[in-house]
Amino acid sequence: MRKFYSIILSALLLMTVALPGIAQDERQRKPETIVQDVLAQVPVQKQADYNREMEDLAKGAPATVEILCKMLKPVEKAVNNKVEYAISGVVNYACANTKYKAAVRQGLEASVASAPDAATKQFLQEYVRFIKDGRAEIPAYKNHAGAEPYAQQWDELKAAGANCAPIVIKALKSDDRALRMQALKFANNYADAAFVSQVAKAYNSLSTDAKNDVLGWIGDNKTITQLDLVIKEIQKGKGTNAMAIETAGRLGTATSVDALIAALSTDYKAEATAALLAFNGNINERVTTALKTATGDLQLALLDIANTRRIKSASPQVFELINSSDATVAAAALKALPGVVTKENATQLAGMMDKASGEKAAIYQQAFTASIKGMNAEEQYKVISSEIQKASNKARFYPALAATNTDQSVADLQAAWQGGSTEALAALQKSSNYKAAAPLLAAAQKGDETSLKTYVKLINANEGITKRVRLLDQALPYAKSADAKKVMLSSLGNAANRYSFDLAAKYLDDKDVNYQAAAACKNIASKCKADIDYKKLTESLNKASAIYKAHGGADDGYAVDEIKKILAEVKPGEIYKLTDEEKKAGYEILFDGTNLDKWVGDKKGYQVINNEIVVSAQYGSSGNLYSAEEYKDFVLRFDFCFTRPGVNNGIGIRTPQGVDAAYHGMCESQILDHDDPIYGGLAPYQVHGSVYGVIPAKRIKHKPLGQWSSEEIRVKGDHITVIVNGEVIVDGNVREACKGHNVAPDGGNSNPYTADHRNHPGMFNKQGHIGFLGHGEGMKYRNVRILDMSKGKKGKK
Amino acid sequence: MGINRRKFLQRGAAGAALFTILPRNVLGRMNGNKEFIAPSDQLTRGLIGVGGIGRSGSHFISDQNCRMVAMCDVDQKHLDSAFEAAKKNWNETVKTYHDFRELIHDPNVDIVHIATPPHWHGIMSVEAANAGKDIFCEKPMTRTIGEGKRVEEAVKRNGRIFRLNTWFRFKDTFYGLGTDVKPLKKLVDSGKLGWPLKVRISGATGFTWKFFWVGKENLEVQQVPKHFDYDLWLGPAPFKPYNAHRTHQTFRGYWDYDGGGLGDMGQHYIDPVQYILGKDDTFPVKVEVDAPQQHSDAIGTWRSVTYTYEDGCQIILEGEGYESPGKVPYIEGPKGKVYKGFECTIPNVQEIINEMPDPEPRNTDYLDCVRNRRQFALNESNGHRSCTIVNMGVCALRLNRTLHFDPKTQMFIGDDEANRLIYQPMRGEWQNYI
Repeated sequence: MRKFYSIILSALLLMTVALPGIAQDERQRKPETIVQDVLAQVPVQKQADYNREMEDLAKGAPATVEILCKMLKPVEKAVNNKVEYAISGVVNYACANTKYKAAVRQGLEASVASAPDAATKQFLQEYVRFIKDGRAEIPAYKNHAGAEPYAQQWDELKAAGANCAPIVIKALKSDDRALRMQALKFANNYADAAFVSQVAKAYNSLSTDAKNDVLGWIGDNKTITQLDLVIKEIQKGKGTNAMAIETAGRLGTATSVDALIAALSTDYKAEATAALLAFNGNINERVTTALKTATGDLQLALLDIANTRRIKSASPQVFELINSSDATVAAAALKALPGVVTKENATQLAGMMDKASGEKAAIYQQAFTASIKGMNAEEQYKVISSEIQKASNKARFYPALAATNTDQSVADLQAAWQGGSTEALAALQKSSNYKAAAPLLAAAQKGDETSLKTYVKLINANEGITKRVRLLDQALPYAKSADAKKVMLSSLGNAANRYSFDLAAKYLDDKDVNYQAAAACKNIASKCKADIDYKKLTESLNKASAIYKAHGGADDGYAVDEIKKILAEVKPGEIYKLTDEEKKAGYEILFDGTNLDKWVGDKKGYQVINNEIVVSAQYGSSGNLYSAEEYKDFVLRFDFCFTRPGVNNGIGIRTPQGVDAAYHGMCESQILDHDDPIYGGLAPYQVHGSVYGVIPAKRIKHKPLGQWSSEEIRVKGDHITVIVNGEVIVDGNVREACKGHNVAPDGGNSNPYTADHRNHPGMFNKQGHIGFLGHGEGMKYRNVRILDMSKGKKGKK
Repeated sequence: MGINRRKFLQRGAAGAALFTILPRNVLGRMNGNKEFIAPSDQLTRGLIGVGGIGRSGSHFISDQNCRMVAMCDVDQKHLDSAFEAAKKNWNETVKTYHDFRELIHDPNVDIVHIATPPHWHGIMSVEAANAGKDIFCEKPMTRTIGEGKRVEEAVKRNGRIFRLNTWFRFKDTFYGLGTDVKPLKKLVDSGKLGWPLKVRISGATGFTWKFFWVGKENLEVQQVPKHFDYDLWLGPAPFKPYNAHRTHQTFRGYWDYDGGGLGDMGQHYIDPVQYILGKDDTFPVKVEVDAPQQHSDAIGTWRSVTYTYEDGCQIILEGEGYESPGKVPYIEGPKGKVYKGFECTIPNVQEIINEMPDPEPRNTDYLDCVRNRRQFALNESNGHRSCTIVNMGVCALRLNRTLHFDPKTQMFIGDDEANRLIYQPMRGEWQNYI
């Protein structure tokens, strides 16, 4: 019988699934229940969930909607947000899923009259408007203030549409540029070749101003069929030449290049140069040809263009003109050289650079560097190092050498700098190879801020946040000028962690750079406010906010808003107290959030931030924090939290300080985010909680990163119990686990009796410290307390 | 003299003998060499809204090129303080107005500078255009797509010069991207990245979406301060009981006045992309959102907003905290990527760019454009296009669904509710203004 029902039931379920849109709730809920269920979900976070929740409401309409509307309170009671989410949500949903529209609208319309006050009524009316039938209303355009004469022409233009050419021509004859521009702008909609030609027929009868307008308009519309007119105006225009030149550049056809080149010899050289530089097409061949015969100013202008537009085909002429007897031409050719050279010129340029007189060397350096650009870095290095052998002015090759960014180039330059070459250091400052960082830092230490800036650029590009901040901290003392400090602060601002915050905050009182310090603090806090000490954070951000307010630029108000938001989201940490049960049992607090007075060891790697012990590898800490006292039998309770995947730490039990507690203490109970995929091959005696290398633990699933777990470790004699979030994961006796052989009976290094086959000489320690055994940043401890079960019985060392 | 000045300007510079019209580069050079500018050559400006951006260093200025002659605010405290500052800074006794309409119709004002919250931009721009004034409007251009269309129409109809104020499409390092737009434009135009392109505007590429601009739900009702005309501040926006959080600075968190970080920063970030992609004459055809459900009044945050153009190009906005992991390209094409700081996967990219012509020259001197009646580089048309992209995103967020857009009609396809967000009713008398 039972089986039979279940078949019917599944069939029914299947039918319901197969028939979406049945106007009744699958779960047979009453409208009131549906409303309550949805209200518990709003605002819905994901679109799919949102659609499902709103569909539930829509299916129950109009009843659900009416229930919701009745829940609206007068606004001064200020509690309507969830209902508002639900009503706006169901209307939005029904508008897109129109089969529900009528019912939702019905519920809404029925409720408007009984809205409790004007504001809620208006809210409902807005949604009635949204869900109305029919197309959206487009209100008629209103010419409220009624201006003349432009509106009149506008109406005429619109009425004429594609036939507006006569109106445009009429406007062009006006002396009012605004009228002309309005007509031309409108005509853009129809300005094909035929239309433009119609207007251009009137060109000759127009004023100079209007002619200029038409020329600009031809450029706007790229009407190449009017090229003849434009070229004619370049050559023969009166007051229209400059505009014609600009238009010719925008039209960009081959024939206009010659006209523009010719214009280089006129009063409009600047305009023609600009037009050729921005010319919309290929000018290389024409410029090269023109350069062959050009003289005087034209020659100079063409050299300039060949350089800027990288016209390689002009390089033979340019090389020839370097030797011109006319000094002006020779100088212009030399200046143009870097723009036109190719790798075929490399050897020739290397020789010229080596032999060049002092003031010309720089431009040859540029040209040589440009010539080898087309090779890959290794080829470049090969060419340079072979040329440098032959050269007498070796330092002249350094910029090109640095530009290869090869490891070898850095090594060569470093050696040259150490040999006393300042040019080599200057070249290193241009390198983007990270190997240059070391020599640059050395130079920075000697007071060279340019090196410092490049150094910072390199670490920005190559280091992750933690290391970058550490390196910046080390380099900060070398930044003496405001300029250098700004570079440091900008880098700190982009490397958000609590250390960079502290470092940047120190500059908030430095009036030369306090604005940059404020920006750095704000940027860091916006990314990691929770990691920063509450007191430091609030003090520094309040300072930063005042600095922004005083600065008063356009974006400063935004920054003040942002700081306000950050400050609203942080709160001071909690002080932990013993529970009544713990008090009664005789527990003692080892860390309540305020200080590490009951602890010794690495207090740099273990810092109190917002009343939590934060573990970090910053500044290469030696790693372990120990209880000041030693303990025999005890119960240790604490909370832990991982903030980075794969974090590894451990609890040392009855251990001396400064040794590996897993072997020289009684044991180490593992703290490990073993859920991280990097730990796929973990042995059971290595997972979280395990007595490392000795007793396996039950493998638990950790809470998500950032959430706290509680742990308890009980140690009595040789017995150890580990409980995480109330679940016992280890409960065993170390002596039994190794059958009494904590070290190999044969005195060797391999111990067949322990799980990890290693000796654990400290296993039978009678007492020792409790230790947090650090293996890098990314986790936190809090609320550490202990029950010392040997109190009064133990003899202190 | 006021009336004569106005006539002079309405008829355009060409009417005066002083201005034989020269192309702007020549004129610019001429003006640049001038020590003194004759009063007849001087433009004047009236500033509406002196609480926020209007009081910032780059806008609260008056010089011989363009004198500040009038100011308007509905917060008497802001107005008094600005009046005093004008006296102190430039020894200028500006006219002060409570009602912007009086400033717009003041014959001494040539250029109306709109620095109010966005819900006013449309009405004020249309009113200024109808009154024959030129307009300098802060971003975002308008709060709705419909208002943007009206501004475009009014500016053209009245032959006005309109500048939408964001500038990254023609100058300055583009926020945290570490490069200006010119090399990006040249790189895209070179075709080396291939097509279609995907642009990511994200914390990972140097842009922040200012998620601190969110609204508050369940606002308690507060007393309106005596110095503040809340009714005129709201203007066309629906009446809602006063709470200070709705107004000054924090207004950005409410749909009635703005669009949160997307509304307020979006045009800064998206406008240059329209230019880079060469999309100034069109719109995306689709917008998709990934976001928590939005409240009807208070703006919240979002995970992503994705725009797709007809040819497959995309603009992807990534919300704060939802940035793509790893190294994220700003522009990604089938053949290459370009990252922050103009780092590019294409070898020798700098040389490729050097070999290309510069982008077409543009008119980027607004005062010069006013004098010569030339269209400014970012104007009522392309400004409306990039602002529409912002507003498409706002509509999709509010409705929590994918929307399809018809670039021709500038309406959403098959979604009446979304289209009702394009034209939103104005309150009271303001319905007669736009």
